[in-house]
Formats: sequence, structure tokens, C-alpha cells
Amino acid sequence: MREKNNRRQRVLAGLIFSVIFLAVVCIGGILCKQEAAATDFSRKNLAPCTEYLFGTDWLGRDMFARTLRGLSVSILLGMVSAAVSAAAAFVLGVISAAMGRTADSAVSFCIDWVMGIPHILLLILISVALGKGFRGVAAGVALTHWPSLARVIRAEMIQLKESPYIQIAEKLGKRKGYLIRKHMLPHLMPQFFVGLVLLFPHAILHESSVTFLGFGLSSEQPAIGIILSESMRYLVTGQWWLAAFPGAMLVLVVILFYEIGENLRKLLSPGSAHE
Amino acid sequence: MGKKHTWKRTTAAVMMLGLMTSAAGCSQSAAGKAEETVKQAIEAGKVESTEKDSVIVTMPVTSEPEAGFDPAYGWGAGEHTHEPLIQSTLTTTTTDLKIGKDLATDYSVSEDGLKWTITIRDDVEFTDGKPLTAEDVAFTYNHCRDNSTVSDFTMLKEAVAVNETTVEFHMNHPYSIWPYTMAVVGIVPKHAYDENYGQHPIGSGRYVLKQWDKGQQVIFEANPDYYEEMPEMKKVTVLFMEEDAALAAAMAGVVDVAHTAASYSEQQIDGYGLTAVQTVDNRGFNLPVGEVREKDGITYGNVFTADINVRRAINIGIDREEIIENVLNGYGTPAYSVCDKMPWYHEACEVEYDPGEAVRLLEEAGWREGKDGIRKKQGVRAGFTLMFSSGDSVRQALAEETANQLQEIGIEVKTEGVGWDVAYDRAQSEPLLWGWGAHTPMELYNIYHTAENGNGIGEARYSPYVNETADAYMDEALAASSLEEAYELWKKAQWDGSTGITQDGDIPWIWLCNIEHLYFVRDGLMIGEQKIHPHGHGWSLINNVDLWSWK
Repeated sequence: MREKNNRRQRVLAGLIFSVIFLAVVCIGGILCKQEAAATDFSRKNLAPCTEYLFGTDWLGRDMFARTLRGLSVSILLGMVSAAVSAAAAFVLGVISAAMGRTADSAVSFCIDWVMGIPHILLLILISVALGKGFRGVAAGVALTHWPSLARVIRAEMIQLKESPYIQIAEKLGKRKGYLIRKHMLPHLMPQFFVGLVLLFPHAILHESSVTFLGFGLSSEQPAIGIILSESMRYLVTGQWWLAAFPGAMLVLVVILFYEIGENLRKLLSPGSAHE
Repeated sequence: MGKKHTWKRTTAAVMMLGLMTSAAGCSQSAAGKAEETVKQAIEAGKVESTEKDSVIVTMPVTSEPEAGFDPAYGWGAGEHTHEPLIQSTLTTTTTDLKIGKDLATDYSVSEDGLKWTITIRDDVEFTDGKPLTAEDVAFTYNHCRDNSTVSDFTMLKEAVAVNETTVEFHMNHPYSIWPYTMAVVGIVPKHAYDENYGQHPIGSGRYVLKQWDKGQQVIFEANPDYYEEMPEMKKVTVLFMEEDAALAAAMAGVVDVAHTAASYSEQQIDGYGLTAVQTVDNRGFNLPVGEVREKDGITYGNVFTADINVRRAINIGIDREEIIENVLNGYGTPAYSVCDKMPWYHEACEVEYDPGEAVRLLEEAGWREGKDGIRKKQGVRAGFTLMFSSGDSVRQALAEETANQLQEIGIEVKTEGVGWDVAYDRAQSEPLLWGWGAHTPMELYNIYHTAENGNGIGEARYSPYVNETADAYMDEALAASSLEEAYELWKKAQWDGSTGITQDGDIPWIWLCNIEHLYFVRDGLMIGEQKIHPHGHGWSLINNVDLWSWK
């Protein structure tokens, strides 16, 4: 009994730590908007020191502020696109399971179709078609990330439909809308939230990749993709800090999001711990 | 389930690592590719960097001529002008950018400026052994007139070979600076010209194209039958690579000359010295003139820069020396016009940095300082967006530094990276950081002269501006009967004592600096006296490669 509590506390602690860390990154990024864009040629190309934790680049920009700002932009973008993706996945999943065979095969076809095209390719296409920038990337990420979650929701719904308590409720004459609202949605919520959180790291990584490749955010903006692609030019002169810290921070943020997703799963559906 | 979690976490980490190594990997692979190129060349016995009559030079990837070594499609006579090496030209530009002679023995122009008569040498042969005659010259020019996609030949009506050694150019309108065009158009053989000429060029110039590995390198060898003094450098290898790869190649000691940028200028490489070449490769930005108007979906003019006092204040509110120190590590010269140091440059373009006067001008024009330090006038904030081409780190830095400096006199400048696909249209209403500089006064014409089909509303092509007096001087300059006379008129177009494009005139463009071209040159290699380089960090360097030598 004691040990179980400890594990639960550990999970909760991990969750809270991750959330706080990401919130700090986010708020920090929002607060240092000015600082991240400020250039000062009197302090260019400085190695990491106490004043500039992550060093400065060739325009004398503080890489710590830039990294924070870049991550917060990424997280914001992840939030927008994960929300859109999750909503689309949810609606499609429910339609697929609740509206009969034709709707199901139509939705399944869409899922297979989008999953059949390489993610990054579709993302670049959408982003370029919408004129790049924040809007392009957000739309691109949002429109490419829903299929995997939609598939999970759909499978869960189909399984639910066959379960005895739903069958009985149906026999008792309850309408479809009532069934979905009262019996199915509460059951789906944990899956949905975990899926939603786990979309973040994907969205963030894809945003960085697309921006890195030059099809995303514009080059004066402090985005992690921009920072990494700019740093390439200076690796040969030994300015390792331009790539190392922002890269490591990106890894950390992505890992923390996974951590949140997993911990959330453990808390919301404790049964899965026995699987 | 525990296993699945670990798996997911590992995937995330691996994906991230992938992203990071791809970042690092790209530059490595660029450097790696360059090294590979050189290694292959050495293995094949084609490059012996210890030989005293060969040289290996790096150039930016963009310098590789896409359409091959064909003058009609941009070789020598394109956006970035240079001597075509493989082909001979009628005239040449000298180190002080006056006109010298190559194939031409004499040239003259008729009184009305509509007929140029050129006599050429009779002792010149193409490398296939056939003589070069006036027929070939006429063919080349007529072909360029009909097909050139990169240069303007609209002034030429027809080129006619009168006899073996005399060619006449009949013009549509007078064009006094025709000798500058003749200095970049390489003469191709009529008998051996077809659509594949650019891949296998035959010329009569100092060098022959020996080998071209697309995307990697070009190898030139001295033309053994050259009609003038034999080139000292028998073999010239040009490798195309990015600046970071060029730096790596120099560090590895596999190239003799590596092009580089100011951001790498502090690097010390054993056995190499840093050489800076003066240029007219300028950077500046346009200030759209005139009220805001719209046509065909494009906005013209800018409410802030429409005010002439604003334009004047910006011009003297910028400390060019500071920009050069900060952005170019000192490797540059202040620019006051698009043609600094050229024979047609007017000294009246030069201004002193005077922030006090700049503030006074703004105050006088009614731009009063607001609470946040930014000026305002009738609800309009003093500021604009300064665009630069995405990915160009020097232009980005120039834009940022300009923004910092203008902030001090109360002007708010935002910077934005844009692609060239939208930049031209947007520049009609917002300042854009440009790079110009060429060995011809036509540059002035292209920037300041109104053009019927230029920008859509019959004003100057790249940024809205009209000055009829300046236009008239430029038209007159083109109609002038001698170059000396034309130079004076080009100067008057810039400032004639009462109007022009200088500080006291309309100042529709601000010029910041001329960027010196930097090279790591192996100790002992003498690269001769370089002409002032035009825009473009590529072929200009080896204009005089035949005169290079090892000590």
C-alpha cells in the first residue's frame, strides 16, 4: 500500500515538475520578446558566461533569450496545432464509429491517405502554399497530425460499441446521441487527453524541422529551427554553443512533454499500469 | 506498457538527435564534399598544388554558370559582369575602369550616335584553328540581341560585318556607353555555335575549358595559341562551395585561394593570408517616394518615406563607419552612391554623419518625439519595415544595425527576412536591402531613370521615384558622342547644382557600404592588381588570373 502511494506521488511530482518547467519556459519566452530580438554588436560572438548563459551570436543577440523565445513560439505553435489536430481527430473518430459503415470507410480512407504521404513533405507543401510564416506552419502541422489520434479514437469507439453495457443501454431504447454523450465520451477522455499531450512533441519537432529547412518561420524570428540552421555556418569556426544549447533545450522540452503524456496516462487510467 | 514508454522516449531522443546531427551534418557534408572534390582531382593527377603554374580557387556555389559558358545566357555579361576568359571581347575595362582594347584595334561612333564602327585584329584564331572574323562578331551580337535573357540589348538594331576586319553596329537609339557592353560580351564562333555551345565552348581567349564537373569544379588550361602574351598560370581549377566549406578547405590546405566572409575574417590559417579587394559591391536600401497609391494589387509609396526631410534625416542619421566596423569587421568602405569610385561618380553624393542635424530635420518636418522615444506626426508613427533577403547573414546584420542606429533618432525600424519571389513587389512600398554595383553607368539608369514598363506605374523600376531633370541628363549621357562627355552628364544626373539624387536632392536611395571581397590566399601567390570588383563574390577575382604568379 505504502509503495503504491509512493509511486503515485512520484508520478504526480514528475507531472507537476514538467508542467512547471514548461510553463516557466513559455512565460520566460513571452517576457523576453524584446531581449530576444535585440542586437548589440558590442557583444557579438561571446562564449557562454555568467551574463550570457548560452553565449551570443554574430549579431550580438543573447542566445538564452532567443532560445527561450524560440521554445515558447514552438510550444505556442504546438498548442494551436495539437488542439486543432485533436479536435479533428476526435470528431472524425466519433463520426467513423457512430455513423455506420459508409462513414467509417470514408474516414478510414482519409486516415490512410494522409498517413500514406510522408509527414514532412505534406507539411512543407501546406506551409509553402499558405505563404510560410507562423500561419503556414501552424496550418501545416495541424493538418498533418490528426490521423494517428483519429485512428486510436476510432478503434476505441468500435470496441466500446460492442461492449455489454452499451449494448444493454441500446436495447433499453436509449438514443445514439445519449449513448455517445453519456457512456462513450467519458470513457474516451483519458485516451484523448493523453493523445493530445503526446501530439505536442511531434508538432514541436516538425515545426523546428520545417523552419530549419527554410519553409517555416521567417529568418528574423527567434525559432529553434532558425537558430539551428544559422548555427551551421559558425560550427566550422568553433562556436559550438550556438547549436548545442538550443538543441539540448529542444530535446529537453520534447522529453518533458512525453513525460507529461505518460504520467497523465498513469493517473487517468491506472489500469494500464498492469498491462 | 513500460516497454512502450521507454520506446517512445527513445524515439523522441533519436528524432532530436537526428535533427541536431542533420544540422551539424549539412555543414560537414558540404565541407566533406569539397574535400572529396579536391581529393578526387588530386588522385586523378589533375591538380598538383605544388606546381608553380597552376592554382586552385574556390567560388560560391551560385557562381557556377547554370546555362554554361555562353555569353548569350549570362556568362560574363549577366547580372554579375566579368571577363569571359574563354572568349575574347572587343574592348576591356582597365584597372581604373576606363576602356582598353582586346580584339578591337580601333572604334568610332557616328555624329548622331547611331552607328559604331569597329575594326578588329586579323591575327586571331579560335582554338579549333579557324580565324576569328567580323562575321563572328556580328553573329555574336545579333544572337545576343535576340536571345539574351540576362542582359539588355534593346539598343542594338543590327550588327553588320562590312569586311573581314570591320564590323558596324547600327543602334536603335544612341548609347554612348556601348564600349562597356563590348567589354563583357565574349565573341563566339559562328561556324561552331549551336544550342550546346555553353557546355563545350570554343573561344579565342586566354584559357580553354578543359573539364566541367557540374556542381563541383571547372578546370581551365591556358590557350597555347593565344594571340597575346601567354598566361603565366597554365592551369586554373575553380571549386564551387559554400563559405564554411571553403574555410575548411583552406584549413586543410587543399586550395590556394578560398573566398570568405567578414564573419570568418578573424580566423588564422597557417600558410594563408587574408586579402581584401576593394569593390563597388554596395549595399543600400530604397526609400519609396510619393504618396501611397495602389495599382494591380501592388502598393506604391510609403507614407513615412514620402517626406523628403525624413529621407534626408535617415541619410545623415546613419553612421556608416560604425556599420562597417560592426557588421563587416572593418572590411568595407562607406557608400554614398551606387557607383562610388567609378569615373562617373559625383562627389556631391558624400555626406557627413550628423545625428544632430538629422533630429533637427525631423523636428522641423513635424515629427515629434513620443513617450516611447519614437516620433509621431498626425498619428503616423515614424518607422518602416526594412526587408532583407532571407538567409543572407550580412544583409540581415546590416538591417539590424541600421534599425539600431535609426532608433536613436526616433525612427522605429522593424526587420523582416523575405524571399525574392515577393521582395520586388513589396519594395515598391517598403524599403528593401539591395546589393548593386557594376562596371557600367547603366546601373544609375536602372535605379533612378523612369521606365515605361518598369514598376507598373511608369516610375523608376525598383522603387517609385520620378525626376525629369535627372532623366534628361541620363538620356543626354547615352546620346553623348564621347565617354568623357558622358561621364560629366552621368555626374550631373546625380547632382547638377539644384536637383538630383543626393542629400540636397531627392535622396530616394540610401547607400550604406561597399563590401570588400575577402579571400584567404596561400602565402607566395601573387594575385596581381585587381580591378574594383563589381557586385558578386565570384569570377571577378580571376579576371586577371593569367597574370598571377608564385613567388
